[in-house]
Amino acid sequence: MNILKGQRVALTSLFQNQPQADCFQIGLCVSGNKDVVDFACFGLDSQQKLSDDAYMTFFNQPKTPCGAIELSTPAGDTLGFACQLAKLPTKIDKLVFTAAIDGATSMRQIQNGHLRFLLAGQEVARFAFSGADFQDEKAVMLGELYRKDGTWRFSAVGQGFNGGMAALVQHFGGEVAEDVTAPVTTKLSLEKKLASAPKLIDLAKKATVSLEKYQLQETVARVGLVLDASGSMMNQYRTGKVQEVINRLLPLAVHFDDDAALDVWAFSSNTIALPPATLNNYADFIDSTEGGWRNWGMMSINNEPKVIKQVIELYQKTLLPVLVIFISDGGVSRNKEIKDLLTSAACLPIFWQFVGIGGRNYGVLEQLDTMAGRVVDNCGFFALDDLNSVSEQELYDRLLNEFPLWLKAAKQKHII
Amino acid sequence: MAISLSKGGNVNLSKEAPGLNKIIVGLGWDARATDGAAFDLDASAFLVKMDGKVRSDSDFIFYNQPKSACGSVEHTGDNKTGVGEGDDEAVKVTLSTIPAELDKIVFAVTIHDADARRQNFGQVSHAYIRIVNEDGGAEIARYDLSEDASTETAMVFGEIYRVGTDWKFKAVGQGFAGGLAPLATSFGVSV
Repeated sequence: MNILKGQRVALTSLFQNQPQADCFQIGLCVSGNKDVVDFACFGLDSQQKLSDDAYMTFFNQPKTPCGAIELSTPAGDTLGFACQLAKLPTKIDKLVFTAAIDGATSMRQIQNGHLRFLLAGQEVARFAFSGADFQDEKAVMLGELYRKDGTWRFSAVGQGFNGGMAALVQHFGGEVAEDVTAPVTTKLSLEKKLASAPKLIDLAKKATVSLEKYQLQETVARVGLVLDASGSMMNQYRTGKVQEVINRLLPLAVHFDDDAALDVWAFSSNTIALPPATLNNYADFIDSTEGGWRNWGMMSINNEPKVIKQVIELYQKTLLPVLVIFISDGGVSRNKEIKDLLTSAACLPIFWQFVGIGGRNYGVLEQLDTMAGRVVDNCGFFALDDLNSVSEQELYDRLLNEFPLWLKAAKQKHII
Repeated sequence: MAISLSKGGNVNLSKEAPGLNKIIVGLGWDARATDGAAFDLDASAFLVKMDGKVRSDSDFIFYNQPKSACGSVEHTGDNKTGVGEGDDEAVKVTLSTIPAELDKIVFAVTIHDADARRQNFGQVSHAYIRIVNEDGGAEIARYDLSEDASTETAMVFGEIYRVGTDWKFKAVGQGFAGGLAPLATSFGVSV
């Protein structure tokens, strides 16, 4: 059976009283678009609102508490759901199946797509659509299942919002603002974005947990990494621990930065600006970029002010907020210079998260948190015994702990 | 308490509201919540004889010809978006002055520019037609047609017709392909 846009039909007539109709699958697919398309199922109450976030089923939340809706992708589809409507609590009045484009394109640029119903793996009905059915929508309600006089019906909606997932979530009464209540994500796809880097998939989940915890799912930012490459770091480079830092931080850059690039500097007495780490080159970054770390001309004494100036130079004109993660193994001596630089940089959209490793003489870095004379507190510091001494989850938590506070303060002061 | 009709259902208006003379046929729908061209629904009325045809083009009442020659049927204006509470468009009918040779008044709704905007009734939320007693404002009958509407762009919502000296209302809910022009032609209007 073909379902047309706008058509409403009773589920029983879709399934024509076939057996097993109480457990069916919905398959979703959009093709011909260069951007990632995220699918989700929203369970709405009788006011047509998402009053319970647990009833948004998607990549990162694969199942409703009642088990009625569960990710289950039929062969050939991009994503799908197994539905057992009898298990749904009565408070859920409607299930809306949505597609949201994560990128610059809109629905009119898709080639075609469908929402189809399957019973025991066999297709029984299909709502097919194409780019011509849409205009500039970036997020659309493809179809909805709803209760009507004690039965379930389906409507092929095919309408949506130019504002993308955020507008869609707002339509369902969700909070998109950066404060209060549980946020609903629009950046659904960190795991998907990392699909081409299987080594990082596991990190994506952990990073997502921290991003949600600090309500940073919506934040767009550039991410920079400054690596101490003074002589005392040699062993950390040699044993792959610095490479591990790249692996752990890249997911954050992929999340925050639309270009999915991590800007990297290494410093010793001199500074080298390396090409950005990306999903294409991260795997062997330390050993192969610019001839590998041994050829960077590092492994001497440490000169922090020099690299701080370079970082400021790159970012001072950016319109986006910047998260700079600055790794140091201590021996910090140019305290006044560092202090002056960071104090005057407080008016720039840059947040400096210093991470001490190895544990010796962090000098002024330890006092940056409480340093007076700045418009906003633009620095954070924490120390670890070893780069790998904490779990990834804890690392992300600590890295992202202060950034949102700065974001809020910087916004108030119109720095970003 | 108004009678809620389903497709094909009818109600005897004269029995529901004894002495009924002036009625308002109200049409309503929800303004579009999603992005895209607004849903512009137009109500029209066809005054037809026993054979289901108009006497002349002047028996076709719509936004460009808002009043019948006899004065008993009047379109109150065109709402282009569905914004606002209550009825979005209304046709007023005075039953006692309808010429005897007319048997029935058919109320239709079409979606303006539906093809170009790629719209149909199934995309419109909470569309209804209702009959209100102008004297006192009580609703006599209502027909919610969202569920029966689908991929049509023109639709006969309902009709009032004579049964002896009584007037009845019937919820028709019949889709019609092609929009207002062919719909009008089917009632004998030359467009």
